[in-house]
Amino acid sequence: MVKDKLLEIAEKAVQYSETQGADQTQASAFVSDTALTRFANSQIHQNVATKTGGVTIKVILKKRISSLRINSLEEEDIKKGVMQAIKIAKASQPNKLFRSLPDPEPWTPIERAFDEETADCTPKFRAEKVKEAIEKAHSKSQIVKAVAGYLSTGSMAFAVANSLGVSAWARTSSANMKVTVISESGASLGFGTAEKYSRQVKDVQPSILAEDASEKSTRSTNPVKLSPGEYEVVLSPLAVATLLMYIGFGFSATAYQDCQSFVNYSLNQRVFDGKLTIRDDARDSRTLIATPFDGEGVPKKATDLVTEGVVSERSICYDSFTAEKENKKSTGHAPIPMMGFWFGRPSPSNMVIHPGTSTEEEEIAETNQGIFVTTVHYVNPVEPTKIILTGLTRDGTFLIENGEISKPIVNMRFTDSMLAAMNNIPLIGKHLEMNRGTTVPSVKLKKLRFVGLSTY
Amino acid sequence: MSSDFWRSALEEAEKRGASYADVRSSEILNEFLTVKNGEPETVNILQTKGFGVRVIADGAWGFAGSVAMDKREIINTVKKAVEVARASALAKKRDAILTPQKAERGKYSTRVEKDPFKCSLEDKLDVLVQASRNLKEYSPLIKASYANYHGFRENKIFMSSEGAELKQQITWCGGGVRAIAVKNGEMQSRSYPSAFSGDFSTSGYEFFESLALIEHAEKVGKEVLSLFDAEKSPSGQMDVILTGDQLALQTHESCGHPTELDRALGTEADYAGTSFLTPEKLGRFNYGSDKVNIVADATVAKGLGTFGYDDEGTPAKRVFLIKEGVFVGYQSSRETAAELKLGESSGGMRADSPLALPIIRMTNVNLLPGDWKAEEIIEDTKDGLLMMTNRSWSIDDRRLNFQFGTEIGWRIKGGSKEEMIKNPTYMGVTPQFWGSCDAVSEDDWMMHGTPNCGKGVPGQVMYVGHGCGTARFRKTQVGLLK
Repeated sequence: MVKDKLLEIAEKAVQYSETQGADQTQASAFVSDTALTRFANSQIHQNVATKTGGVTIKVILKKRISSLRINSLEEEDIKKGVMQAIKIAKASQPNKLFRSLPDPEPWTPIERAFDEETADCTPKFRAEKVKEAIEKAHSKSQIVKAVAGYLSTGSMAFAVANSLGVSAWARTSSANMKVTVISESGASLGFGTAEKYSRQVKDVQPSILAEDASEKSTRSTNPVKLSPGEYEVVLSPLAVATLLMYIGFGFSATAYQDCQSFVNYSLNQRVFDGKLTIRDDARDSRTLIATPFDGEGVPKKATDLVTEGVVSERSICYDSFTAEKENKKSTGHAPIPMMGFWFGRPSPSNMVIHPGTSTEEEEIAETNQGIFVTTVHYVNPVEPTKIILTGLTRDGTFLIENGEISKPIVNMRFTDSMLAAMNNIPLIGKHLEMNRGTTVPSVKLKKLRFVGLSTY
Repeated sequence: MSSDFWRSALEEAEKRGASYADVRSSEILNEFLTVKNGEPETVNILQTKGFGVRVIADGAWGFAGSVAMDKREIINTVKKAVEVARASALAKKRDAILTPQKAERGKYSTRVEKDPFKCSLEDKLDVLVQASRNLKEYSPLIKASYANYHGFRENKIFMSSEGAELKQQITWCGGGVRAIAVKNGEMQSRSYPSAFSGDFSTSGYEFFESLALIEHAEKVGKEVLSLFDAEKSPSGQMDVILTGDQLALQTHESCGHPTELDRALGTEADYAGTSFLTPEKLGRFNYGSDKVNIVADATVAKGLGTFGYDDEGTPAKRVFLIKEGVFVGYQSSRETAAELKLGESSGGMRADSPLALPIIRMTNVNLLPGDWKAEEIIEDTKDGLLMMTNRSWSIDDRRLNFQFGTEIGWRIKGGSKEEMIKNPTYMGVTPQFWGSCDAVSEDDWMMHGTPNCGKGVPGQVMYVGHGCGTARFRKTQVGLLK
């Protein structure tokens, strides 16, 4: 039903645009049904449910390109939108680099991308899960002061059609729960967090998340200060996921063509540890965003981003426009219509780090003196061509001494090049955790440079 | 849709047991144009319309939104909002209480001289293509040149079960240029008039014209190339002078966010974080030196965060956050103000779409002018670093430890601006940093628009403003890069 309706809307929009004189047209129709229950201070404070849908119309007239998005699926609104997109294209100027929208390519659906139970979660279901997490966290210790977090569930579906015959549709579901626990011991606060992503809500277990976050939180009160400097670190999967997201910006063809990617300066070189292999593959069932094709209807191609530490031209992720600039074929990395309308650069969204052999406990046990990082906060690039990132540790930072976590430490600011930090990775974890655009293990780095301290 | 139509939603909510309800319907139009290397890359129009219903039932909040504006959908949406509220009540510790607010009935519209949505696309693209082309052609070392324009308009109606009925039209626009240059494997960037796609103002198209992007493109090209020959940043402690465009972000991150009362009360603990400005510090904590006066002002002319009423129906206000260095006020909502018994909301609740729940957002968080001239601050500095235009930024989740980098800097020696510095960075801890502020300028004070402030779960992006001049901070740690 959803499939037929969305495909019909997209194809009708393309047909109508052609009758109005457009050279080429692409239309994407989408619906999104999401709900989120958010809690803080151990009670629900925000509970929202939003159902939306819309159409994005891209029109080409003599290489003049316009895009218009409306949040309506009504035929009359879409016709008006097509006419407006044509009017805008006429008033625009040609882009000499544009050649064509993509030709159709065969694709097959991804199995188990959509879960009915996840899509149909009720507010009551989410509230009960939240209650379970809050009660479990408080039950772990008297010093647990407050529990915060959210549980989101929902689904999205979209169809893409273009005047060259592309016709594709996909539907996915997702669930995400985060639990942050704040503890209080005297005048000191402790923080801990745990998070779970899945395509199926049944995989989200509030009690397990609450236990993990509570343990980190209660252990992190009364932290000691550690001097800035270089330390061995064990990064939990949450921290690795954030760092990989920023490393991943460099694989975008837009960054590469604008000379803002580290890949420009590292082609065919081993820039990371030889144990590091990263692949982007939407058909890998361990990843969250399970759409078989991209926002242009091009099948997503598995892309080897890093192979045993080496990056190459094969690491770059293209949409049709950036690919044509280099006489290449799109790798199917155009953003899907619900994302990236403004800054729609191609990028990897199913990055998987090839697992190693260690457990997080073994990584800690193999560390004489180092830092355990639960997660990192407010990471931003300082210098993208060297992937110099800065950010802070958060929600559970601990000193490791003689192979054991010995005491909590005050959060620390790192400012370091990932080309340096990821060039010496003694251990990579064997257990992968799914995150929004990444699936990663824990990782032990030989050194990460910390430049400053916070106060808690 | 008529007021009667929306009133029926409020009546339906009351019928279903809501003790409070409001409905906000809006239509948002965004026009976004980007030109890269002289070629138009993005000519995008985004039209969003819909409505959101917020209710209190069983003492808890519920919210639901929809795009279909017909009677049946409104009933369904109200029903969903009440259902969500009743589910929320399953895990509540206390009832939601709102501070009193007179039910306003009024209209507000941004003053514009030239309606940006009536100015031709051809004219806008001509400016961008020329600016981008001039920049690209300045040197073969410039690998990418960008020019962009963003116009925004929202028409919205707010009505509440308390009797509020408000209509607003908010309009803003602006843009900027940016160059990326590469030489011998080194990349440098330079932007005008500011980072983050330029500068923006609640004004008409005359504001975009006043930016004169074509005329400034050459200077941007010249400066980005000069950076290759610039000195590396010194490392250690020295006096730092921040120009308005960087000071705007410094104020945003280290004063704007920590004075949001929802953060201070813990409701952002899972994502954006909390705040070191906890309630017991109100009125008694030394946030900075006595030169530091900061207000949240939704009334200031042309500020990007200027409006008539917030999304709870509270009229736009100017409230002190920091007065002569002392932390004296929060940015609040009706609920958070009631929790702290503040008497009234600061009027800071906004949502980025009709389908999103309003949360506390900055309006225009302004560092009030001091009694210096910008030039006098430089002349008065023996050894320091002048820094301009943000390039990188990061701050911890309680808004204490921060690190910023700028696109360009200059060494100050003996009161004069000397050699150019590349990749300058500085780091500090908020109260110590603002405590070291000993000079704030008046003559170059202006509003800066930040169109991309992210907050909340699900994430929302809000447009906010910052009034700043130039300011000096003594003994600040600089040079964080190896």
